[in-house]
Amino acid sequence: MSFDTIIEMEDLARHYEMGGVTIKALDGVDIEIGRGEYVSIVGPSGSGKTTLFNMVGGLDRPTRGRVYIDGVDISKLDAYELAWLRCRKIGYIFQTFNLIPVLTAVENVALPTVFAGVPRNEGLKKAEKILTSVGLGERLHHRPLELSAGQQQRVAMARAMANDPAIILADEPTGNLDLNTGMEIIDLLHGLNKTQGMTLVAATHDLKMIKASDRIVWMRDGKIEKIERG
Amino acid sequence: MSGRETERRIRFTLGDALRLGYEYIIRRKNRAIINIAAIALGIAFLSTLLMTDALYRAYALAGGDRLGVETYQYWLMFVALIVSVVGITNAMLIAVYERYREIGTMKCIGAMDRHILLLFLVESFIQGVVGGAAGYIIGLGAAILSTGFGIGFDVILFVPVTDSLGLLASSMVLSTILSVGATLYPAFRAAKLHPVEALSYEL
Repeated sequence: MSFDTIIEMEDLARHYEMGGVTIKALDGVDIEIGRGEYVSIVGPSGSGKTTLFNMVGGLDRPTRGRVYIDGVDISKLDAYELAWLRCRKIGYIFQTFNLIPVLTAVENVALPTVFAGVPRNEGLKKAEKILTSVGLGERLHHRPLELSAGQQQRVAMARAMANDPAIILADEPTGNLDLNTGMEIIDLLHGLNKTQGMTLVAATHDLKMIKASDRIVWMRDGKIEKIERG
Repeated sequence: MSGRETERRIRFTLGDALRLGYEYIIRRKNRAIINIAAIALGIAFLSTLLMTDALYRAYALAGGDRLGVETYQYWLMFVALIVSVVGITNAMLIAVYERYREIGTMKCIGAMDRHILLLFLVESFIQGVVGGAAGYIIGLGAAILSTGFGIGFDVILFVPVTDSLGLLASSMVLSTILSVGATLYPAFRAAKLHPVEALSYEL
């Protein structure tokens, strides 16, 4: 493993039992992702993109194989270390935004800093700064339902960045957005990747997202079909 | 990433839980009101009976007839409390289902099982305190009205102060215990949710 590899998957597999049939959502995936790299995971639905995303994010345990993040096998982490990984090392962006509806934009963005043990005022100040940087400086105290879809996704992006994670995992981040707002999100993500050197792994169908990436991983039936340079 | 180092870094204090629980109650008023009403009615029943009994005793001491609360009324009170516990458990279970995605999301940004548990218990604690106080006030009023119509409103002069303060304290303690107890199972279910399952749940 070279020095600047941040994520490494080794013969990664995840099988489910469903009505007596074994479904191989992931079936032996090997890939290394470098620090600061922008990788798109592409494939038809059911090809294993989301499962891969869950494995790298420490949200699910593999049936076989390993995921290393910064050289650490994440299946060996205890509950505390796993929570720390999810809180500090990885930022998640979902297709459905998944904001907490009772909290305002700034409170949503500050929530990860609460778990990180950052003092409340400091966390809120930082959340304000990040929201302003994604163009939502005027919408700090709006709740998710008072924001447009594109704005909600920008809040979700800001939340993902709240603890300065090394890795951003995005699962179809533009899937619920129209062309223009989707483009804005892609530009923001691309900017983060280029200016702050955050490693970006995005499962997507969106051709524009794919074009912006360094590498494209094509998946089919739980396996890597081919890997292309972007 | 040693265990001790991470222990210092993941944090969710009682204060954080109280603040977040308060937001949930304030901004999802309807569900909180149902829970508070459930516990308040049970407690109102209890404090009406106990207060009426205290008034009767004070009245007897002042030279009036010796009146009493019927045993079956205590049984009714007992049933009312059980009904409110079942009602709260039910309402909190629905709250857990409503918040599946939120629970999954919280786990993605660093929440551990115990933090989710704490959040739900804090919410029911606040509801229990409010419900207990409300139930006590309703019960006190009902006791004064019912005895007042029976033996005259002079009875207000006999309201035993220490008894009524003691009853306030025990109403609030009991309602908090019942409310938190009724939420244990739903909160435990929420805490044990697997993040992937919680995130992919469609209501």
